[in-house]
Amino acid sequence: MSTATWVTHRKRGSGALKYTILAIIALPWTVMPVWMLVVNSFKTESDSSVPSLALPTTWNVVENYATVFTEGNYLTGLRNSLVVAVPTILVVLLLGSMAAWAFARSTRMTLRGAYYLMAMSIILPPAIVPTVFLVTHLGLTGGVAGYMLALIGTRLGVVAFLATGYIRGLPIDFEEAAEIDGAGRWQIYWHVILPLLRPILFTVAVMTMINVWNDFFFALYMLKGTDNATLPLSLYNFANSGQYGVRRNLVFAHVLLTSLPLLIAYIFLQKRVLSGLTEGGVTG
Amino acid sequence: MVTVTSPTRHRAATEGASTPPVAGGRRGGTARRWWWFAIPAVALTIVFFALPFLANAALSFTRWTGFSNTISFNGLDNFISLFRLGILGHATVVTVIYAVISMIAQNVVALSLAKALQNTNRINSVFRSIYFIPVLFSPLAAGYIWAALLDPAGPINQAIGFVIPGFDFPWLGNEVSALIMVGLIDGWKMSGLVTLVYIAGLNSINRSVVEASVLDGAGGWRRFRSIEVPLLAPAFTFNIVVTLIGAFSALDIIFATTKGGPGDATKVLNVAVYSQYGQGLYGTSSALSFMIALLVIVIAIPLIWWLRRREVHA
Repeated sequence: MSTATWVTHRKRGSGALKYTILAIIALPWTVMPVWMLVVNSFKTESDSSVPSLALPTTWNVVENYATVFTEGNYLTGLRNSLVVAVPTILVVLLLGSMAAWAFARSTRMTLRGAYYLMAMSIILPPAIVPTVFLVTHLGLTGGVAGYMLALIGTRLGVVAFLATGYIRGLPIDFEEAAEIDGAGRWQIYWHVILPLLRPILFTVAVMTMINVWNDFFFALYMLKGTDNATLPLSLYNFANSGQYGVRRNLVFAHVLLTSLPLLIAYIFLQKRVLSGLTEGGVTG
Repeated sequence: MVTVTSPTRHRAATEGASTPPVAGGRRGGTARRWWWFAIPAVALTIVFFALPFLANAALSFTRWTGFSNTISFNGLDNFISLFRLGILGHATVVTVIYAVISMIAQNVVALSLAKALQNTNRINSVFRSIYFIPVLFSPLAAGYIWAALLDPAGPINQAIGFVIPGFDFPWLGNEVSALIMVGLIDGWKMSGLVTLVYIAGLNSINRSVVEASVLDGAGGWRRFRSIEVPLLAPAFTFNIVVTLIGAFSALDIIFATTKGGPGDATKVLNVAVYSQYGQGLYGTSSALSFMIALLVIVIAIPLIWWLRRREVHA
């Protein structure tokens, strides 16, 4: 009894120290970068030319953000990012989980081979040059359709791999019961498997969303013209469009607006996002 | 989209023998019915991952430029000329250094954070959320922000200036520090995610093992080293490999900070791929891109094997 109270006491004492250290480190880790981003996006160009954490001497908020919307093609970028990200995630989750069910429940050698192929697609880097030419030959040069196909083809592996591991841990009874009740394959998938997969699919959806929303690598090679640019690409084009070097105030305003959709989603979903990513069995 | 369905149909036709799909048929076509579920994902992965990957490997050994329509086999010429130009060796070394810095930074930070925030309670959840925020920024955004923070006249040097007056070291303008800094920026951006994997790993360790060690008088450090580290082996394998592989393909942060400079100090393979591609030199571009795949095959896959073997022994 006495040892137990002693342990908790000791823990409480070291806890205060621990949280003080964590709070102090969080200042340069999270607070300073975010503060830097926000205050400098409010400054005038000359004010932001020497980067500092000081508040603006002249507030230039409306002009800066208006420029991001006009010159920075923000709304076009936002539209394209949504047009790309939402269907990509839905397709990847649907097709990936369908394949995962087959991989988990069939012992067929060909399916085993397909499973390993999809697992390899997680580890091996994408081959960008042939991908660009493949998409060109499909007549989808520079547009979002070809870009989405490339993203889907390289992201399906993660979903299939993680969902396969998850399904293998599920009892087969539900599926057998549904089959005895006369449910078809598709009905079993839709009404039994998909609901059971919700936790892992949420986890994968979060990972894929962060990854696809922020993708710059494929966008750089595959999207042509401002009409097709997603947010990271329009940010990059905007940052490099200044004739007189980097206009940090404007670039930061663009960075903030580009990051905002994910940040807002995170504020509302952070509990589920963090517990999903922690308990989602990524270690499997 | 139409183009995708045609290989699908073709594969389905060859796979599906002669019997048409019968609804409710229990025995006959189980394998085929499973394939119907796997085919869309497998076909898309083959067309948009596997084929380009193989084509890339093959194109590495060809002369192919934007100035002519012919693609001809030229053996190791691309690799030899890239090597002679000092591009291949340099970019490979820079990539490996960058990846190792980023991998170490991510795993050290993440493991420390995971230890500190292992238990799920309210205050730990708040800190987890705060430390996770960098993960949400795009690598480009991370690059722009840190380029400003690390500016010779920027906040970092201003802070150091309180101790060493007039400190104006160009963190991203010095060949050695620039490479270290871009690696650390990558580490900063990704650590929050890696932390969660370590937390999951720590929490999957059987409580009774840890409690037994406490009763046996093992202190915090001893418990960590002798019990948690060995039992965390699967999380180590996953995190070390994933962070290393991710960093081999780096591009964004470098584009937003140094663009490969100063000189070629941060010119990783993917930056070199882009500059060859931009000059219309597709063959050499593919060769450099294939080099990233070789790094994964030569470094990461044996690493997975080695780390997995340690898991069994642990």
